[in-house]
This record gives sequence, structure tokens and C-alpha cells, in this order.
Amino acid sequence: MRRILLAALGVLAMLVAATASADDPLVYATIQPAQILLGESAQFTITNLGDGTNPINIPVVSGLKFEIIGRTREVQIINGTTLPSTSIIMRVTPQIAGIFTIPAVTPKAQPLVLQVNAAASGASIPHPSGSSAPIPPPILSGGSIPKGVRLTDDGSAYVRLSVPKREVYVGESVPVEIEVGMRSGFVASINGMPKLTDDDFTLNSLSHQPERTEKLINGEPFVLLTWRSTLAVIKPGAFALSAEVPLTVKIRTRPKQQSSLDDRFGDPFWQNLFGATVPKDINVTSPAQELTVHELPAEGRPVDFHGAIGTFSIASDVSPIKAEVGDPLTVRMRITGSGNFDRVDSSMLDHLDQWKTYPPKSSFNTSDPLSFSGMKTFEQPVIASKPGVQELPGLTFSYFDPNTRRYETARSAPLTVSISPALADSRSAPEPPSTASSSENKYAAGLRADHVETSAVSSLVPLYLQPRFLAVPSIVVLAFAAGWLGARRRRGAGEWESGSDRIASRAAKRALAQMQAAARAGDAALFFEAARTALQPLLASRWQLEPEQITTAEVEGRVGADNDVRQLFALADEAKYSGRKLNATDFARWLRIVRRQLMSDKTP
Amino acid sequence: MRAAWVFCLLLGTLAAYSASEPEGYSAARLYNLANSYARAGKPGMAILNYERASLLSPNDPDVQANLRYVRASAHLPAETPDTFERVATVASPFWVSWMGVLGLMLVGASVILAQLSSRHRLLRAAVTLLGVSMVVLTLCNALALWPRLHQGVVIAAGTPVRVSPVPMGDPLFTLPEGEKVKISAEHEGFALIETRAGRSGWIADSNFAPIMPR
Repeated sequence: MRRILLAALGVLAMLVAATASADDPLVYATIQPAQILLGESAQFTITNLGDGTNPINIPVVSGLKFEIIGRTREVQIINGTTLPSTSIIMRVTPQIAGIFTIPAVTPKAQPLVLQVNAAASGASIPHPSGSSAPIPPPILSGGSIPKGVRLTDDGSAYVRLSVPKREVYVGESVPVEIEVGMRSGFVASINGMPKLTDDDFTLNSLSHQPERTEKLINGEPFVLLTWRSTLAVIKPGAFALSAEVPLTVKIRTRPKQQSSLDDRFGDPFWQNLFGATVPKDINVTSPAQELTVHELPAEGRPVDFHGAIGTFSIASDVSPIKAEVGDPLTVRMRITGSGNFDRVDSSMLDHLDQWKTYPPKSSFNTSDPLSFSGMKTFEQPVIASKPGVQELPGLTFSYFDPNTRRYETARSAPLTVSISPALADSRSAPEPPSTASSSENKYAAGLRADHVETSAVSSLVPLYLQPRFLAVPSIVVLAFAAGWLGARRRRGAGEWESGSDRIASRAAKRALAQMQAAARAGDAALFFEAARTALQPLLASRWQLEPEQITTAEVEGRVGADNDVRQLFALADEAKYSGRKLNATDFARWLRIVRRQLMSDKTP
Repeated sequence: MRAAWVFCLLLGTLAAYSASEPEGYSAARLYNLANSYARAGKPGMAILNYERASLLSPNDPDVQANLRYVRASAHLPAETPDTFERVATVASPFWVSWMGVLGLMLVGASVILAQLSSRHRLLRAAVTLLGVSMVVLTLCNALALWPRLHQGVVIAAGTPVRVSPVPMGDPLFTLPEGEKVKISAEHEGFALIETRAGRSGWIADSNFAPIMPR
């Protein structure tokens, strides 16, 4: 609103001045805002409606600092009359608080008033209108194009690659900055992210949203986009490194000499307005930078070097410092510094006597968007296996320092902890806990009284599960198994003998059956032959002879001539050749004699 | 002759096992230790030592009474043994072990006598039945005590049960001090436990103690 009002006043003043004297150039000044805080700046503009040949004096006010930050040229059309104007833009910075009167730039102009309030106290000088001062717009800072950077042929853009060092090592991370300067109105768009022209380098952690600033370079407004990243080197060698950015720029379609508007105003607005430019895609490349990449030296490389390159320091601690056997402790190692933290690694403590160690976990804290500097913390759980005052050895971390060009090993001090015996270890006859201070606790009230000590055993494992006791039932089982086998063998022998008897009995029964059959048939020869066949095995068994050896003469020699058995053998021989006949009574008699012999275990 | 040799061997072994060991475990010592822990306000260690005392003297009324009392005071649910457990633990494992050996001897003698003679069949049958009963009692005692041999007692209040056997493992739930848990596996200073409710997870060795000392 204030700007509109000021513009309207300016135009009104122009019209009044034009009617008053058309020949006199009109010069007027404005200041925005008219009220600021100490430490802020205001924009003071002197506009000359004319050919701009009249000299303009920069005002001098005690307590105010005036700096020219830019010049503009415009064309205004008033009542059909083209009126060019030139403006000088200055930054006004107050040195002290107060009310300042800026003298008129021409004798006919009015002086301007600037109110500067003290920022700390917050007490502002009352403004006549009672309205607060608006926030001042950003003011472009002036400057020239960075050294070693060249603009494109049409002056629309440039790219600058900033590498802080010329010699690096393979694996090292180097923070770099890529700045793209685009002249306002000349660049239509950016068509991609910046990239390096050499494939042997990579850009890590490249920010997707570049930092944006505006700057006057050689008096022309430029938009500056700045990307930050870390450069990673893949292989050794000498390289010419540059960065490129794809842009779409607006180029002239007519020679510069034929563009009167451009000659007159030099402003792209007029070129666009009259169709004097067309878009064109180009790649803007930064000037090449020589970079030498070295291999890491093999000499002096520590065993625990994991590829960390940079400048680091370490510190360690353990918590808690008092614990029981079996309680987990946490050992921490903090590595701070700058470098390639992705290669910062450590196995910390490993294979310690009387300690059980676990693999460490790591976390990285940084406020650096590139993760180039910060602190990496390793946490390792450890468990003490024995009581006493224990000392954890100092931790080490090895890295390569590119500044000193050698391997370094950072060391931390040993850590001391106090380990007390575990509460649960009651195997070794623990001392009963003190009860003096805890007699009031809820567990003590209803307990039954203690017992008198009795004999002890060496283990709580049930006796039948103890290996040395298991020998006893094993021996018992083996002994009784052996006894059972012995008894069974003895019984088996008796059963063999009785089995033989049973077999002989069966043969005798068969012989008796044959004899009975022969008696019924009246065949004396068959009768006596069956009788002799039945008696021969029996007698052979008794006399320890072969059955064939049991003849009439043998029987006679052993039992005498009058024995029934001898007579039976003799009758058997006789009946075989004589065909002697027997009556039923004789058959029955000799059958009884044979049966008696077969059933008796005595010698005939 | 052979039977006499076996008998002498058994007598010698029994005498050796009956000899007292001053630095070992005894039911009275464990019971008194448990009482001390209970008076000191450490229910976990008290319950642990009552459980250990009950292994040596399962029918000691004082041990059982104090165990129930401390469990109730620690707001732990009461444990009531079933009939099988009561019968199987009618005697201490020490005497049950020797009863088993005696049962084996009775059965063996009966079997051998049956091989040698067929007389006194009823007497032999009675002896065999008695011996088998003794052996069965020993086996039942082992079956009843077997789960307790693989159990532990939580000795720290609010013990975290973790999802993995590492100190930084995510906690699943916590166990109260004095809770009895089943130990399923062990790994690197941690034990995989299972609660009566069937929940399982890993707890640090320092937070529990097995009923059967290692």
C-alpha cells in the first residue's frame, strides 16, 4: 500500500513537474522503508527522468552510510510520450538510532526522513501515522565474477567447481562446492543436477535442494545456486576435473547491432517482449581443475586399518563401573573428527580373558549435511565372568591422515571396573545375607524356624542320575543276568537228557507196537526181530557200545546164558531161520519181558 | 559266592554314598539359606533355595510351608502338586535310588530262583512284584523330578525377557522376581525360557538361577 502510494506520488510529481517545465529534467528520490531498526538497511533510490546526463550527487548524512548497489534503466510512457529514466539504487545503513533527514537531491526536490529505532530496547520512536514499518526487502550485494570462472558467450551463466585441495588419496572424501550463476532473465530452466565430467570421481550426498542467493555481478543481477557434496576418488592418477550443468538459455535471434532496444536498455525484458530470443539447451561447464590422486601407502599400514581417511580422535568410557558377575556392561568408543566416516569401523574389544564380548553397534551423529564431520559412537556389551577389580584395555583406532601423509593410531586410556560376585552363584556355599536391617520385611513374618544342620551330599542331582551311581544297578543287572544265564544253562542240560529219554521212549513204543502187530499176525520172526531192534540201542547205551555190537554172544557174555534177554536174542536168531511158531501166551510173555526191559533203567 | 560278592559291593557303595560331605548340599542348609534370603527381602533367592531343599527333602513340611508363604508374599500363584507327583516323591531321591537297586536285586533273585526250582511259586511272585514296584517307584520319581531339573527361578525384580539373546535385544515382557520358568536352551550368557503361560524369550543368566546348580 505504501509502495503504491509512493508510486502515485511520484507519478503525480512527474506530471506537475512536466507541466511546470517540460524542458527541465526531473530528479526525485525515494527511501523504503522510512522506519527501520538499528542494524537494518533501507533502500534509497534516485530516479532521473531524462537522458541521465545530469550529475547526481550522493547525499552525505552523519550517522548514515550510503553504498551504491545497482543501476537500472527504464522506459516510461506518459501521455503517449516515451520517457526514459535511470535509477541509482543505494543501501542506507544507519550507524546510530535516531531521526535522520536526507537532503534533497535537487534544489526543487523535498528532503526525506529516515527513522532508526534502537533494536535492543524495542522502544521505537512513535510514527506520525501510527503504522509499523514494513520488513525491508532483501538488498542485492554487489561483486564481480569469481576468479577463474568464465561466463558463457552470451553472458547468461557460469559454473564454478570449488575443490579445496589439489592432492587427494584414493578413498578419501573431499567436500566440494558447485556454484551455478544464472543471469536473471537469461536462463529459462535448469535441466538436471550438476555432474562431474570424469567417471573416476563420484559425488556423494549431493544436495537435491541447492542454496539460492541473488547477487549483482558486474552490475548485473544473477541468481546463484550452490550445491555441496563430497568428492570420492576411485583410482589414482592425474585428472582434470570439471563440473557441468544442463541449462536452457534464451539466445538472441538478431544480431546485437540490429536490436536497438537492447542497445538502448540492455534489458532482456525488451528482448522477450519483442520476440528477439529463442530457448536453447546447453551444457555449462566449469573450468577444469588439476587434481592428483595418490594411492594409500602400503608401508606402515596398521593391522586394524579399515580405510578411514581424515583427522580423528577417540575417547572411551564404560558404564556402569560397578557390576556383578554376569551383568552386562557397555563400553563406548567415540570417534570425532572429519573424513570418510562410512569407513570408520572398529571391532573394539575382542577375545578378552575373563570377559565375554559381543559385536559392537555404531551410530553416527552429525550436523553436517555432507556427513563429512561429526561423531561416530561404538557401543559394545561386555560381561565379566570373574569378580574383582578388572581393567579393560585401552581402545585403538587407526586411520590415514592426509595432512601428515601417514597412518595414525589414536588410543584411549584403559578402563577400570569393579566386579562383585553374582548373587545367583550359590554353588560355593554362599554366606547367608544379613538380616539385621531387614527384619521388618514382609517375607520374614510367617517363616518357620531354621533347621539343624545335617549331613550333606555333593550334588543336588538325584542319585539315580549320577553317572558313578549308575554303575551300581548296572553291576546288579549284569550279575543277575549272568546268574540267570548260568541257571538256564544248567536247566538246559537236564532238559537235553530228558529229551534223549523221550526219544528212546518213543522208539521203544514204536518197537512194542511192531511186536504187538507181529503177535497178532503170528509172525514169530518179525516179533523177535522187532524185540531185538528195540533192545539193541538200549543195551548199547548202557554198555557204551555201538548198537551193531549188541549180539547174542555179547549179551551172553555180559548177563549170562540164562537171562531172558540172552534167550530173546537167541530165539530171534532161531526164528529167523527155523520159522518157529509161537502161541499167544508165548507172545504175551515175551512182550512183557521186552516192555519191562525198555521201562527199566537197570541192567538186565 | 557270586551273590555274596554283589552284596558286599552294594554295602560298600552305600556306605560311601552315606558318608557326609561338609562342603556339599544339605536340605537343612538350603532351607536355612532360603530363610535368610527371605528375611533379607530377596524372594527370588529364597524360592530358589527352597526349591533346591525340596529336591533333597521333598516331604519336609517346613520347606513346603515356607515356600508357599514366600510365593504368596511375592504375589506369585500357588503351586499344588498332583497325585502322581505326591506319590512319586514320597521319599527323597537318595533313598528312592537305593530302593530301585534293591528292587532290581529282588526281581533278579526271583528270576534266578525260578530257573533253579519250581517250588515256592507264591513267594517268588510276591518278591518279584515287590521288586518291580520299587523299580517303578524309582522311574516315577525320575519322571516327576525331571521337569524341575530343567527349571530356573528369576532372582531379579522386573527381569526383561528379550526377543534375542543379546543385551540390546528388544524386551518382550518382564518377569517378577521368584517366577519359576522352564529353560529350553542357552546361548552366550542368555537362556531361552518358557513361562507357565507359554510365553517364551531370552533372559540374561545374571537374572535367573537354575534349580539344579551347574
